[in-house]
Amino acid sequence: MIDSILRATLLGIQSGMTLALIAAGLTLIFGMLDVINFAHGALYMLGAYFGVVIAAQLGSFWLALLLAPLVVGVVGVAIEMLSLRPLYGRNPLYHILLTFGFAIMIQGAVVQIWGGQARQIPKPDILTGTVTLGSLDYPLYRLFVLVVSTLLIAAVWLAIERSNLGILMRASAQDTEMVNALGIDVSKVFTGVFVFGAVLAGLAGVLLGVSRSVNPGMGMGIIIEAFVIVVIGGLGSFRGAVYTALLIGLVTAYGALIVPTLTELFLFALMAVVLMIKPNGLFGTAEAA
Amino acid sequence: MLGESIVNGFELYLEQNDGEINGEEVETVERDTEANTNRGVDVTRELLVEERADAIVGPVSSSVAIAMMQTIQNEASAIWLNANAGNYRIAEEGCLNYHFRTSFNDWQTSAPLAQWVYDNVADNVCLSYADYAFGQNSKNFFKEAFTEAGGEVVNEVGAPLGTSNYSSYLSDIESSGADAVFSFFAGSDAVNYISDFADYGLNDEMTQTGSGFLLSEDTLPAQGEAALGMYSLLHYTPTRDAERNQQFVENYNNAYDSTANVYACQGYDSAQAFAAAVEESGGSDPDAMANALSGMELESPRGSFTFNPETHEAVQDMYVREVVESDGENPVENEVVTTIEQVEGPSWGCSL
Repeated sequence: MIDSILRATLLGIQSGMTLALIAAGLTLIFGMLDVINFAHGALYMLGAYFGVVIAAQLGSFWLALLLAPLVVGVVGVAIEMLSLRPLYGRNPLYHILLTFGFAIMIQGAVVQIWGGQARQIPKPDILTGTVTLGSLDYPLYRLFVLVVSTLLIAAVWLAIERSNLGILMRASAQDTEMVNALGIDVSKVFTGVFVFGAVLAGLAGVLLGVSRSVNPGMGMGIIIEAFVIVVIGGLGSFRGAVYTALLIGLVTAYGALIVPTLTELFLFALMAVVLMIKPNGLFGTAEAA
Repeated sequence: MLGESIVNGFELYLEQNDGEINGEEVETVERDTEANTNRGVDVTRELLVEERADAIVGPVSSSVAIAMMQTIQNEASAIWLNANAGNYRIAEEGCLNYHFRTSFNDWQTSAPLAQWVYDNVADNVCLSYADYAFGQNSKNFFKEAFTEAGGEVVNEVGAPLGTSNYSSYLSDIESSGADAVFSFFAGSDAVNYISDFADYGLNDEMTQTGSGFLLSEDTLPAQGEAALGMYSLLHYTPTRDAERNQQFVENYNNAYDSTANVYACQGYDSAQAFAAAVEESGGSDPDAMANALSGMELESPRGSFTFNPETHEAVQDMYVREVVESDGENPVENEVVTTIEQVEGPSWGCSL
């Protein structure tokens, strides 16, 4: 019993932190750019597929982990500069339609190029096997994902709160005109934020592409979960997204322990309850721009 | 992906025969049912009434197949070559004279494995399955046969379709203390389930067995080494050592640059069955074609199989396969361990 609880806890933190990688990008992009990026799940999927290709071609998981997110970042640059930029400041419906269109196009391209068959990124030898924690055997790779994603989230958090770049990002979100007037090219900051979100999603894609199946439906599957997290956490709040992702990860992990068939329900029940009590989400009022 | 392989297999046969059957050119019309029952019925009506099809091949999904039964019966204008939908209820509830299973039924891919597992692997099992009609049927059929063989089912674990993380289900499987597991999962679920199973080290504690879709050509490349040593049961295995099969695999690979799979074989056999029906009956009258096919034996890449005259199910060899290392393109492949010959299965009260 203690083993199952410990296992669920580790699993909850791990899936929470990987979800946070995806939700963080989504919420940052909304917070700064006022764009609801429906293509975010597709970028996560691209990360996984690029990971599959790079791992197969270069024979190294580590190179895949390094390069695939960067390639996703390049796709992010293209999407932001060529299509989103002309639409800033318009009705959000434009952004939703555009990014939703990208999601469908990317999914279609993936099916065309790689087919509908499920794939996976091979695990590096050094991370195979299990580690013994007390009396529990836990897969080493999952522990690796837990540690890496937690460190990444911590680093991003620190960067947003402390670094000059983070301050610039928050300033651009709060008062675009003033930052512009101070001689800073805000459009570059916007591109940077979008690309940064894309890279984080791509990273999550590679990390999860080892333990979960890589398939054309994975992007649409994750975007709903990530979106629910962003809504519960408060649209635009990074802090909210991270806390909520962790909460959702743990709730689903423990929920699966008690009533496996209802885990999906927990997610939406939680959203309904939070929205009834705090319509702006848990951290919405404090930070939303 | 499944539908595409079926179409490829079907067209391969046609190409090998210059697109002709009995001296007449064959025209094919493709429609996507989108795995949606309403759409399936619309498409069926369109193919039968507007396109005046002589044979319907498909669908992939059993729920669509069950929805289509009424239309095919009412129109009575074509034979139906069921190239994948494996739910036994199509025989039980439909029992249509026009229906011929060029594929398999869910009893065949589960129950016959029970005796083999009991004799060779373990006398107690835990069942794990995707919680929808096909998964439930498979585990129920296996359970019935395994108990009859003298074995004990110690626990049953159902996971919703599309589960991405199986760890909590795996702790139930592990704590059941069973020596073996029988599972039904397919596609992405099968990939996620097997990689979680191996990650948590359950390979060392129990033997994984399952319906063939758990470990088939569409999932093995992703499952990789995690699947080594696992057993499954299916009516087609591309590595089976038989000239007819090797020829088919080679032709398929030349035509589509991909490995033949069970769905391709089912598509190919549907074309063969259609050709045989037309040639034997001398035309495309649906009743004459159905009479011709009933009881007919076909030489297939899977081995020879016969349409049971009572149920129109395929009576066929079932192969117990083990996942082994491969020198081919993928790191692992299935190897036939035992052949269970000419498996027939229950008739579910269908008597044509």
